[in-house]
Amino acid sequence: MRHVLIRSVALILLVACSQETTDDADFYHAKNISYIVATDPGGGFDAYARLIGKYLKKNLGADNVIIRNTPGAGHLIGAITLFRSKPDGLTIGTFNMGLIYGQIVGKPVHTFDLREFEWIGKASGEPRSIVVSNNCAIKNMEDLMAAEEPVKFGSAGLGSASFSDTMLLATALDLNVDVIPGFEGTEGEMSMMRGEICAILGSTSSFTQFIESGYGSLILTIGGNIDGIPNAMDFVETEQARRLVAIIETLAQLGRVTAAPPGTPKDRVESLRAAYKASLEDPDLVAEANRMARPIEPAYGEEVYQLVVSALDQTPEIVAMIKKAIDGAQ
Amino acid sequence: MDLSGIFGALLTIVGSPYHMSLLLLAVPIGMFFGAIPGLGGKLGVVLVIPFVFGMDATAGALFLIAMHAVVHTGGSVPSILFGVPGTGPDAATIVDGLPMTRKGEAGRALGAAFGASGFGGVIGGLFILALLPLLRPIVLQFSPAEFFLLALFGITLIAMLSGESLVKGLMVGFFGLMMAFVNLDPQTGTQRYTFDLLFLWDGIDIIAAVLGIFAIPEMIALGAAGGAMAKIDKATARHGRADVLRGIGDVFRHWRLSIRTSLIGAFIGMIPGLGGDAASWICYGHAVQSSKTPERFGKGAVEGVIAPETANNSKEGGSLLPTLFFAVPGSSGMAILLGAFVMLGIQPGPAIALAGMEIVWILIWGLMLANILAVIMFIIVAPALGYLSYVRGNLLIPFVLILTFLGAFLAVRAWENMVLLAALGTIGYFLKKYDWPRPPFVIGLILGPIAEDSYHKAMALWGPAFLLRPGALIMIGLIVLSIGFYVYRQVTNRNKSIWLSEDDH
Repeated sequence: MRHVLIRSVALILLVACSQETTDDADFYHAKNISYIVATDPGGGFDAYARLIGKYLKKNLGADNVIIRNTPGAGHLIGAITLFRSKPDGLTIGTFNMGLIYGQIVGKPVHTFDLREFEWIGKASGEPRSIVVSNNCAIKNMEDLMAAEEPVKFGSAGLGSASFSDTMLLATALDLNVDVIPGFEGTEGEMSMMRGEICAILGSTSSFTQFIESGYGSLILTIGGNIDGIPNAMDFVETEQARRLVAIIETLAQLGRVTAAPPGTPKDRVESLRAAYKASLEDPDLVAEANRMARPIEPAYGEEVYQLVVSALDQTPEIVAMIKKAIDGAQ
Repeated sequence: MDLSGIFGALLTIVGSPYHMSLLLLAVPIGMFFGAIPGLGGKLGVVLVIPFVFGMDATAGALFLIAMHAVVHTGGSVPSILFGVPGTGPDAATIVDGLPMTRKGEAGRALGAAFGASGFGGVIGGLFILALLPLLRPIVLQFSPAEFFLLALFGITLIAMLSGESLVKGLMVGFFGLMMAFVNLDPQTGTQRYTFDLLFLWDGIDIIAAVLGIFAIPEMIALGAAGGAMAKIDKATARHGRADVLRGIGDVFRHWRLSIRTSLIGAFIGMIPGLGGDAASWICYGHAVQSSKTPERFGKGAVEGVIAPETANNSKEGGSLLPTLFFAVPGSSGMAILLGAFVMLGIQPGPAIALAGMEIVWILIWGLMLANILAVIMFIIVAPALGYLSYVRGNLLIPFVLILTFLGAFLAVRAWENMVLLAALGTIGYFLKKYDWPRPPFVIGLILGPIAEDSYHKAMALWGPAFLLRPGALIMIGLIVLSIGFYVYRQVTNRNKSIWLSEDDH
């Protein structure tokens, strides 16, 4: 009798479980998913989201993946919009991980914890480089390290990844630089062509056209390997400096991330992660990305979360150094 | 110049039914995205990029450029008929386009807008052809110092756009400037007047602002007064094809103005970073400034439609230059096109000249042909569009209000923007009711951020000495001339009126 009871309970549990799993599998069927992009249409984040969204739709069996562009305030608006979205598994988003800096130094406008997002994955890395203009007297890292006059660097707005990267690297390698913020998009390249600013630290891929056109050259890379170009780690002399450069390297790995709002049910996060993985491993997606000159170097769920945590976990000493580097300019 | 190459490219387009049919398809799509407030050309291009993927480079690029070229031709239609700008840069067209509709001249205003758009587009194309050799030195002459002064120059145009009362104009202009400071401070990242509201962090949205200041007051006024947009009897109304053709004729009657504003537009388009909103308002200001009868503006002067519409379309030609030859996009729309060109296998940058200029010529011809095609298509449908101005207000208002609120929502995809729209609409209504000029508000809002951003950069680069750069000195000279001219005209007008009043005795 007891056996029968146990068996029937087991059976009920089994049925319940399988019922639940079919629920999950079907959850996305005929649903609409919003994909928040923290920039205007066009540009890298938008292109990746539209590409990945197309395959997510197929792999989740969803009706549509709708791109929602919420640009502004250096990706903060997009990130906060995603953070505050209903965590029902139907909203995901992508933004620039330069926001990590804002959290480390505790900026007042940074009202959320990046650790709380449900990380789905990342599509590519964004190795950084320093590009110097042909109009500039600085021709290589030795010149830059030995510069007596401050070298003018351009960067995007004050809260941006490019500004913080530049300030951090300058602190780590003790560079004599004068960072002028406010050069968005390709304005920095224009300014270099006019002979105003001398150099920019930014994502390597964004300089391709500039360099191919013969306006400047790379002198340093961070978080990537390019033949004949030295790596920032080669110039590091102290442990603190190594840690600062390591933060930039971690950020360089976290290119084109996708996350879901905090509190999204675990099973739906798993479905999203599985579909994300299947999408990025789809040869068709890789071929399309190639055609668009968008590299694919994926990482998934837990791994991305660990990278985020490792970038955020800094000793008070390092936090103070970052604060000084970033806020010191204000 | 390689004439056989230039005209060979034209033959490649015109001689191929495939290419011509692509143009015929792209033009109405582009105009549609322009005509619906809040959609805009950028979104249009992003949405069609997947369909262009399978085409060869020439066909794909031709399709995209044709679509992009005519967005503002479409955008002028709701500006003129309802006072609802289809895109930000089309807002300047309202100031005189809407009064023309009210006078029953919708057909003529539409004709002038189409004619001017086509004219501007073609001049913009010719501008590229003529300027290719000089491109680099001119573009590189414009640094943050010149941007700052150019923005100041634009702000002095507030005086021209103030109508009868300079004081009122300045107050509204400064109100616009104040609104431009609502955002995260670009220098320090702190919140300025944002009240912790996320949707204000990126500043007051231009689309919501122009819809609120122009469209909402018109609808309230129409509702209060009753009747239709056109304030005259349908029997005496003129919206037939003859009137449309008359409007197109106006563009050529004012050919000096048309050419000047086309060139100014193309020039502003060529300099990356200034943007289309600035181009159309500066050209509108120029039209008022250079007119012998500036008092007609704002009351339905056809030149007030011609100037911004020529600029809107010619600036696309101008912004194609840095996009193709420096791989530095001249506008945000061009940035998206640049990405699409790369996907199609066209590599912009100085190397494009080495890879063969054929694709450059094809794009320039495509731009011009699309503009001409858009005019022809619109001549066919314009009489029907003009008829819309006789639709009764109580049928029209709900439709236009939905379009307006939808536009404000779409522009930033935040519902709060609709509240902002309503608030600005209320302010706009009272400005209209008590006869305060509204264009200065938009000028302040658009040029304020350009001035602030470039001032900071110029100071960081050169300190106060930036004012002594050669380009900066030229701009300062222009500003002094602009103010001096205004003062001179005020003084002579006053003398004239004193003389007239003495004559009365």
